[in-house]
Amino acid sequence: MKILVCIKQVPGTSNVEVDEKTGVLKRDGVESKMNPFDLYAIEQALCLREEYGGKVDVITMGPPQAKSVLLEAVYMGADNGGLISDRKFAGADVVATSYTLSQGIRKMGEYDLILCGKQTTDGDTAQVGPETAEFLGMDHMANVQRILSVQDHAVTVEANMDRYLQQVKIPLPCLLTIEKDANTPRLPSYRRKMAADESCLQIFSIRDFADQDEKNYGLAGSPTQVERIFPPQKNTSKEIFEGDPDLLTTTFVRILGEKKFI
Amino acid sequence: MNYHKISREDILALKQIAEEKNLLTREQIGEDYSHDELGGITSYPDVLIRAGSTEEVSAVMKYAYDHNIPVVVRGSGTGLVGAAVALYGGIMLETTQMNRILELDEENLTVTVEPGVLLMELAQFAQDHDFLYPPDPGEKSATIGGNISTNAGGMRAVKYGVTRDYVRALTVVLPTGEIVELGGKIVKNSSGYSLKDLMIGSEGTLGIITKAVLKLVPLPQKSISLLIPYPSMEMAIEAVPEIIRSKSAPTAIEFMERETILFAEEYLGKKFPDTQSDAYLLLTFDGSSLSQVEAEYDRTAKLCLSQGALDVLLVDTDERKDSVWSARSAFLEAIKASTTEMDECDVVVPRNHVAEFIKYTHQLAREIDIRIPSFGHAGDGNLHVYICRDDLSLEVWQEKLTLAFEKMYERANELGGAVSGEHGIGYAKQAFLEQQVGEAQIRLMQGIKQVFDPKGLLNPGKVVCGAAALIR
Amino acid sequence: MQTLHIHEELVNKQTAGELTAICPFGAISYENGKLDINAGCKMCKLCVKKGPQGVITLEEEKAPGIDKSLWNGVTVFAEYEQGRIHPVVFELIGKAKELAAVNKHPVYAVILGSELNEAAEELLHYGVDEVFVYDRTELADFRIGPYANALEDFVKQVHPSAVLVGATNLGRSLAPKVAARFRTGLTADCTVLQMKGNTDLVQIRPAFGGNIMAQIVTPNSRPQFCTVRYKIFSAPARQEQAAGKVTRMQLPDYAVDTDTEVLRVIEKPKEIDISEAEVIVAVGRGVKSPKDMEMIEELSELLGAHMACTRPLIEAGWFDAKHQIGLSGRTVKPKLIITLGISGSVQFVAGMKGSDCIIAVNQDPNASIFDVAHYGLVGDLYEIIPKLTEQLKGGQGR
Repeated sequence: MKILVCIKQVPGTSNVEVDEKTGVLKRDGVESKMNPFDLYAIEQALCLREEYGGKVDVITMGPPQAKSVLLEAVYMGADNGGLISDRKFAGADVVATSYTLSQGIRKMGEYDLILCGKQTTDGDTAQVGPETAEFLGMDHMANVQRILSVQDHAVTVEANMDRYLQQVKIPLPCLLTIEKDANTPRLPSYRRKMAADESCLQIFSIRDFADQDEKNYGLAGSPTQVERIFPPQKNTSKEIFEGDPDLLTTTFVRILGEKKFI
Repeated sequence: MNYHKISREDILALKQIAEEKNLLTREQIGEDYSHDELGGITSYPDVLIRAGSTEEVSAVMKYAYDHNIPVVVRGSGTGLVGAAVALYGGIMLETTQMNRILELDEENLTVTVEPGVLLMELAQFAQDHDFLYPPDPGEKSATIGGNISTNAGGMRAVKYGVTRDYVRALTVVLPTGEIVELGGKIVKNSSGYSLKDLMIGSEGTLGIITKAVLKLVPLPQKSISLLIPYPSMEMAIEAVPEIIRSKSAPTAIEFMERETILFAEEYLGKKFPDTQSDAYLLLTFDGSSLSQVEAEYDRTAKLCLSQGALDVLLVDTDERKDSVWSARSAFLEAIKASTTEMDECDVVVPRNHVAEFIKYTHQLAREIDIRIPSFGHAGDGNLHVYICRDDLSLEVWQEKLTLAFEKMYERANELGGAVSGEHGIGYAKQAFLEQQVGEAQIRLMQGIKQVFDPKGLLNPGKVVCGAAALIR
Repeated sequence: MQTLHIHEELVNKQTAGELTAICPFGAISYENGKLDINAGCKMCKLCVKKGPQGVITLEEEKAPGIDKSLWNGVTVFAEYEQGRIHPVVFELIGKAKELAAVNKHPVYAVILGSELNEAAEELLHYGVDEVFVYDRTELADFRIGPYANALEDFVKQVHPSAVLVGATNLGRSLAPKVAARFRTGLTADCTVLQMKGNTDLVQIRPAFGGNIMAQIVTPNSRPQFCTVRYKIFSAPARQEQAAGKVTRMQLPDYAVDTDTEVLRVIEKPKEIDISEAEVIVAVGRGVKSPKDMEMIEELSELLGAHMACTRPLIEAGWFDAKHQIGLSGRTVKPKLIITLGISGSVQFVAGMKGSDCIIAVNQDPNASIFDVAHYGLVGDLYEIIPKLTEQLKGGQGR
């Protein structure tokens, strides 16, 4: 079974702030790490390989430094990695990112299963997985908690649909996004780190793609535009109520109502 | 002992000293105040006073001295040997409201705190100012006063030492009510007997700490842990002296057994990242940059692999640290949840004998047929050994427990160890202390107690104050 | 279309240094005297606005515009799951009516499923002008292929200007699939929506774990897709009279043909980890006896909350250890936590202070729980809780 996991490098902390006056993004250092949600997808892929054999590759789109998350996946147990990196991809929104990823995936090879984390900690959209599946012309299932079996060219999964769980059998190839805490991701191995070298990594640019039309990538290929970024209003409410129990109860109901809990 | 029993007049008099809302009488005192975290011994104080200042503590103590009333000082009550239990009733002075951080002195690298500041608050405060307060006991909601009173150790002792190494000065209220300043913001001191060092680890029997000046170090910017699986506990522990000999400087070397990890998984409802092996070492390295830390752990990782480690797993991000350390922090609670009742010992042995001692506890468990899980600080020789009652009858349990303790302390003694590494003697371990250090040392300790506290009012029945007879 | 242009003649060590420092994404590099912008660029344009004058400039390239007048109506995707209309749908209809009014657009709803007569009718009570119904047995369960094909058909037939989808797990799976098919914009988890006079939908959403807000538009593509979480907007009141019309839509068989099979639909087990719970009612020593838990359980049920407690109650054996919040228990971060009779020990607070909304009930005005609570009620829980439960049962809940 050939599995590809899409991963992303994200800021080491989500403690970014916007300076109210200048609109400048303030970030603590420039440290980056693998999107924590992707770890569950990698772990799931490695478990599948243990059970059904085959290989697990990883792919990411990002600046040259993003190589480090591919290597981290290799230390966890992945076989090969692909980095999609080109200045032409700058400013990509969800659609452009997904399209670029789909082009990169086609370049990486043929896979039975593509796995993604449920979402990233920086964008938080949870949309790149499903859109990538569409550009690859395959079905997907989001929020997968468990993979029950793989047989007859189909995978049976259990997905979290908020109020209920859906067990679905989907023909391969398909794309799954893996729910948070679906497993406990294994730790990177120092043994694998010692044994690995960068020859297991490939780098792709737009010139490697089947579609080389620049209008489909980066900002040009992005239908959405960010008009501005600004700091959120913080929940600084702090109210203490004393007095008659009837009054307190009414206050309680009012707060619950205002906050839409009833 | 003939102490004065607290009367209504005493309470009225004490209300002149402490604010009404900070003074609780017997029926107002919650059940929590009758025991500590392990709950081995139970006894209520007659009055609970939440102290607000050094002067108040001094006035209360003076009143108690004049009226012959016993006084027990208590922080968060997270102790494990009954030190903060009012065996003889009397007054309990709780310090948790004296919880201000008074000063950060960046020129002398010290922080001045009141005794009720919690370890976690101090750790956060230091970190926010780019400093590290190195002592790191597992119980983060303990007070600094309690940490000093037990000379708490924790997870960074291998590299940074213990609480004693970070106390520069103490303000202490003596049993007479007199206030003394011991030590100072000075690095060196050869001026007479070190009374400050006598106070550290005295478990509230010599004086009441009302202020402390603590040493800080610059905050290491980067830390990485290694989780190292071994095929057996013996192999894991035997690797520790080799690691230390290799002159690498981990902040911590912890060992854990698979069984304990499984308890923590059950307790937390969360899987540990690796449970395939029987035993693990957990090492942490810190430093000012990633490359420095990498260079440091690299040598140790290679050494471990050559000594039979199955792999070396990297714990390098917040998520990974959380998945490993949250389990480590839950071990005590998890073992507690796995049995009906338990007792613990935190015996310490020279580091090169840790393996031998652990093997001995395994052998002992088989011999007297009782469960003895353990974990601990392999790097500094301080072990946390738990004896579990499970479904034994009370009688059998007590018999086996006593036997297990005696045997373990005896073995520790033979290996050149000590009764307690960081939890203290309190009420529970007095007999074992006497066995270990012998009559001459007990006599010296009792003499010191006599000089500080001639009326025997402070925390009576603890450490070397005669309650040993009670448990025999 | 906008691109960043580097004016090489102005690049020197100093300007390059300023630019690499200013980029929050580390996307500008300076090597061997050459300034480069790599794929890390998010087009935040700070280098243009705050960098040294004129070194990097923004070049506009006029893209062929679309005719926005061909796209009319604000549509709500009426998620229908396991026999009910998801309540977020009504909230979205309320918002859609506001947005549609700006340009006098109609409000549409599109509903997918099987046996939808009643559900379609129900939507007409909330002020929808037209409900488009795709009613086929093959749509009874959510399967991505047929669902995407049906929604695609709707967009092709009706040409809506905007499509609002609930950010449920179903919505977050379906909306991107269809948006990608039309290569149009999709903004996830919007918290604010406004309509411009030119029919551009202004979408505001949190990013970086809620630490920054981004305002997003889709200026040159239609339809404009967005998803919105449950309980962000308010639902309009249900009208006695139904208004508007129901249009039944046809789909060719191949559109609902798929090899994907739904094997089982399982009710989620109630017992979830409290660290994942959205609403928590936590109790402490202020609760006097185990039998008082009945009244608190009743309240929890009314709020759909999970029960949790402090350490003493675990030790008293009232709860399983898995329900303990605190340093030695679980860390929780719910949208709402109500603490009853909890004084707020450091132990406890460390495990819950990240909660979005904290309401504390305690008799002692000096209890430290009031230091972290957003709303503090100083009073006797034995008086307040029964009254509260009564009021909630009195039809004020939904």
